[in-house]
Amino acid sequence: MGTNIVKVDKNFFRYLNNIQLKLILVFIAFTLICTLFGFFFGSFDISIKKFIYGNLSQLEKEILYQIRIPRVLLSAFVGAALGLAGACLQGLFRNPLADPGLIGVSAGAALGAVLSIVIFSNLLEHHFLGIYLLPISSVTGALVVILILYSFSKGFIYDGVTYMLLIGIAINALASVGIGILTFVSDDAQLRGLTFWMMGSFANSQWNLVIPSIFLILISIIWIIPQSRKIDIIQIGELEASRLGINVIKLKFIVIMSSAIMVGVSVSISGMIGFIGLVIPHLVRLIGGVNHNYLLIGSAFLGSSLLVLSDILSRITIQPAELPVGLVTSAIGAPFFLWLVLRIKKS
Amino acid sequence: MSIEIKDVRYVVNDTCLLDKITFDINPGEITTILGPNGAGKSTLIKLISGDMKPSSGEILYDKILLNKLTLENKSHRRSVLSQSQNINFDFTVRDIVEMGWINDLNNIFEKILNEVSKECSIEDIIERKFMHLSGGEQKRVHLARTLLHIKSIENIYENKYILLDEPLANLDIFYEFKLIKIIRKLAKNGLGILMILHDINLAYKFSNKIALMLDGKVKYFGNPEKVINQKNLEKIYGLKMKIFTKPFFIKYY
Repeated sequence: MGTNIVKVDKNFFRYLNNIQLKLILVFIAFTLICTLFGFFFGSFDISIKKFIYGNLSQLEKEILYQIRIPRVLLSAFVGAALGLAGACLQGLFRNPLADPGLIGVSAGAALGAVLSIVIFSNLLEHHFLGIYLLPISSVTGALVVILILYSFSKGFIYDGVTYMLLIGIAINALASVGIGILTFVSDDAQLRGLTFWMMGSFANSQWNLVIPSIFLILISIIWIIPQSRKIDIIQIGELEASRLGINVIKLKFIVIMSSAIMVGVSVSISGMIGFIGLVIPHLVRLIGGVNHNYLLIGSAFLGSSLLVLSDILSRITIQPAELPVGLVTSAIGAPFFLWLVLRIKKS
Repeated sequence: MSIEIKDVRYVVNDTCLLDKITFDINPGEITTILGPNGAGKSTLIKLISGDMKPSSGEILYDKILLNKLTLENKSHRRSVLSQSQNINFDFTVRDIVEMGWINDLNNIFEKILNEVSKECSIEDIIERKFMHLSGGEQKRVHLARTLLHIKSIENIYENKYILLDEPLANLDIFYEFKLIKIIRKLAKNGLGILMILHDINLAYKFSNKIALMLDGKVKYFGNPEKVINQKNLEKIYGLKMKIFTKPFFIKYY
């Protein structure tokens, strides 16, 4: 398989047409602009002019470096992770309606997170490694769900799509039961933590959590992007792809693992943020095409920019309080999803 | 040098799907499998292409055991057309055909792409969305992809093979005839071809060897003249048959 990997890399940009290359540059520029915008605007505006001349007050510096920058960077990477995971899972399951939320992966991650909040809460607070327990248990939750889904949908090749979504519904229901029970037995402090997970928010972004999260998401992105062409080819069928020399089992492993890590990390640090993973890949396909060399990169950057924007919205709409960002993305994503369903029905 | 199938047996859950299969697929020849539904024809193609391992017996590609070949190595030696699956994203016909290209995107790529598009008569639909094509058009696109696949690797191995599971299904008689002539041309250029057909007349006319299958066994194997006769066909299909020789035509009732 060694030569095969090199082959895909060498031709990576040749599978992008000129329009797609330009679109990707536009997405990147848009992401950078949104990120900059996010640094300086919020319930407390920081003057860009003052920043450039280097005469920010102590308070402004504190806000910018300790609150604003980690928060915006985190939302950018979580957006990239969710958009990319959505695109990858839709590709792997060969189903445009797959989404980490719909198929229960986010719920699994949330259950993992909530488990660690309620059961290991002592450890979380008192051990210096405690802050990492939650991400790890969340990633594990996401991984377990993806493995369950996969092992079930593999057996039903022709009805795989329906079964997968039905299994997703069951997993979502089971996870809510688990979360419900844990909510019931939790004390007040734990309950506050739980609510945060349910709605999704970047309010608690601290550098010591943001850095490992960004690191893990970045590794997953680097791991998955070179597989783009193979995800294209798998669209003609897993068997056909393997006859073309693609190690489908390895590809599935990479897609499933990296998606689980990205979704798990995102949910663990920012809670349940719906619809990014479902809607962004569709938007990117509508704009520029379906091939994954374009789709994966495009989804990462568009997911990133739109989540940064959503977070800005969540910070400025009801100042000085803030909306959970999960509400913002769902409020925008749900109508879009509805429109999408109607559009599919029409064609 | 050829594909040798030696005493292959395939068992799933105590049910024997294939038994005592022995024959060769030679370069430059068309070998056709005929037989009723459920005879094990598609299963046999999957075993020969290396998707599944036989329960016993062996399959050799040019004296090398199929089990010893890597996925990539197999992809260099044979291409396969199977009864195709749905594609859920808006890929164009060109995208789908290009997926068969397993080499670098080098200079000859466009040339060969044009060549196979012409052979399979898909030049006019090459920019259209695959999802919106008819069944017969989709078949031709997949056939073009299969041809592109085998033509994308040049001269690495002496012999290359194409395995076709019902290449003519869903095609009208014009394309049926056109494509089978293309398949014959490929064989003349040295490819070894194994295909499943349902049209006995076409099989008789275009094959070098015919395997008549029933209940997981190859009942008769050999030249069309030797294998296709009233007694054999009636036994395989359970129908009354009459064979006219000049011109060759089989009537069944």
